[in-house]
Amino acid sequence: MPAVEMHAVSKSYRRRGKPPTRALDDLHLVVGTGGVHGFLGPNGSGKTTTIRVLLGLVRADAGDVRLLDRPVPAGLPEVIGSVGALVETPLFFPGFSGRRNLRLLAETAGVPRGRVEEVLELVDLRDRAGERFAGYSLGMKQRLGIAAALLKQPRLLVLDEPSNGLDPAGIKDVRELIRRLGSDGATTVLLSSHLLAEIQQVADSVSIMARGRCIASGPVREVLAGRSTGDVRIRVPDRAAATAVLTAAGFRVSPADDALLVSAVSAPGQLTRVLAEAGHYLEELTPVAADLESAFLALTAEPA
Amino acid sequence: MSAVLTSPPPARAGRFGGLLRAEAHRFLSRRFIRVLLLLTLLGWVATLVICLLGFRTPTAEELATARQTQQEQIQVSNEGREQCLSAGDIPAGVAPEEWCGPVVTEEVMPVSDFLQRPPFSLSGDADDGAVAVAAVGAALAFLLGGTFVGAEWSTRSMVALLFWETRRPRVMAAKLLVTIGAMAVLGSLLQAIWLGVASVLQAVVGDGVAPPGGFWPELLGTQARAVLLTVFAGLLGFGLTNLLRNTGAATGAAFVYLLIVENAVRALRPAWQPWLLTNNAAALVVPDGLTLEWPEQGFDDSGAPTSDVVQYLLGTGQATVYLALVTAVVVGAGVVLFSRRDLH
Repeated sequence: MPAVEMHAVSKSYRRRGKPPTRALDDLHLVVGTGGVHGFLGPNGSGKTTTIRVLLGLVRADAGDVRLLDRPVPAGLPEVIGSVGALVETPLFFPGFSGRRNLRLLAETAGVPRGRVEEVLELVDLRDRAGERFAGYSLGMKQRLGIAAALLKQPRLLVLDEPSNGLDPAGIKDVRELIRRLGSDGATTVLLSSHLLAEIQQVADSVSIMARGRCIASGPVREVLAGRSTGDVRIRVPDRAAATAVLTAAGFRVSPADDALLVSAVSAPGQLTRVLAEAGHYLEELTPVAADLESAFLALTAEPA
Repeated sequence: MSAVLTSPPPARAGRFGGLLRAEAHRFLSRRFIRVLLLLTLLGWVATLVICLLGFRTPTAEELATARQTQQEQIQVSNEGREQCLSAGDIPAGVAPEEWCGPVVTEEVMPVSDFLQRPPFSLSGDADDGAVAVAAVGAALAFLLGGTFVGAEWSTRSMVALLFWETRRPRVMAAKLLVTIGAMAVLGSLLQAIWLGVASVLQAVVGDGVAPPGGFWPELLGTQARAVLLTVFAGLLGFGLTNLLRNTGAATGAAFVYLLIVENAVRALRPAWQPWLLTNNAAALVVPDGLTLEWPEQGFDDSGAPTSDVVQYLLGTGQATVYLALVTAVVVGAGVVLFSRRDLH
């Protein structure tokens, strides 16, 4: 059973005096249960609208939306107790302390008060929990938002830019927390972030949004493999001679620092054989892997 | 990518009781609300002090002098009235009572009018005080109801709350129930305090006259209707702010209505006065309703212009139904919009 299912979902925003903006356009998105699912997309690609539709804040114009196997929005009350969410800026009463804000939420959901202290401990905010929310730094506010999302011991945790405002140590802590939650097998983390390196480090699978559609989805390795160029980086003692040999054999070669970059190599073994037959022995051969950033940029740059 | 689900079944949203408790705590914890209530308490202390300084139980000598002056004035007034009646110049079609005035009695010209600092009269002043407290309570309730939901919109906590309870009508129902409860308690407290203040004034600077029969049922009736007005005002503040999503805008709209719309209606369309909210509020609280008057120009059978004064009794029942309808429309529109709108 997928944690999230969206099929043929569309959503347009009407604006007075202007043509409607299509935020979601026949969106298909499936997020399996367990693990961390990265949710990527440039600004305005429809990420936040997708999350708002999932949480019932925005009503889709068309399509089928299911969350933990219940239809949205009709079945949302049946599962909302298992869904934790932090969407954009954490929303709390500025005049209340962090602890009081969480206690009010816990009371709303029927969560025991002890859980408030647990989550405050989890996000390392227990010592400052008695202070007014208005006095918190951006990082502390973000951590309190994550604590609120964890209050319900969620099976699905939706985090929209959770590292916003955090210092490097805070980012690392959040990353470890997300990784820990995603590895327990029962919790699914849907992590929306613009920090591609962060997604690559913690996500098991990824979906990439552009122009209101999901243009790529699957395990991170598969998405990257789909974007692999076949380039290899080689190091040889005599770069000039090796370049001549490879060029003569039909390879495209270019210098890369103290090595050579051979483009679009379909069979690296053939390259090794050509060099060896000419008396050049490899000191290093490294496939140039596509990273998420380059895959993301390549995918989102494509026309619709 | 999908895995077999091994964890417990999904958890439902929390119970309504928990939501109601959380909303009540939110209401009571708001700093602005606490400040307003504290200011109200200070207002009561100031009222008590001013009243203690403004009223005084007269000495026997002062009372005797005042009574003598009162009797002299009544006599002079009635003599003048008799002369007026016997003068024979009363225009045709005008009643003698209307031309020369009614008989002047002690009720029309009370002895307190002839005292420099009159005593407090429980039977005479308690009802008026309850009405005045109702007016202040209604204004306070409007502000409290508005700021309660306005803060939710300004901090966007309303949206955050929907991550916990997705059934929007339930969220709104909990907030409305808390508002109704809080306003009923506020109205009751204000009227109870007034009863206490009036008792203190009667004991310390009162006229020493026991209230007449039927006094207490009438006063308590007025106070009960004042509590109802407080609830209506609180709900109107809540509903208007929920529609506009901003406390300042709602308060501004209320000011514009009270200062401009109502005065414009009174000046330009006086016959519409029975539809004004303040008239209905007054008619709800004041015993036996509110009598409204406005001039009406017309023509008689011969085509000559006539001028008449229309009297309209705005009854308590009519005012209650009208205010309930207006409140229901304002609150209902906010609830329907909240249930259907996309929230960002």
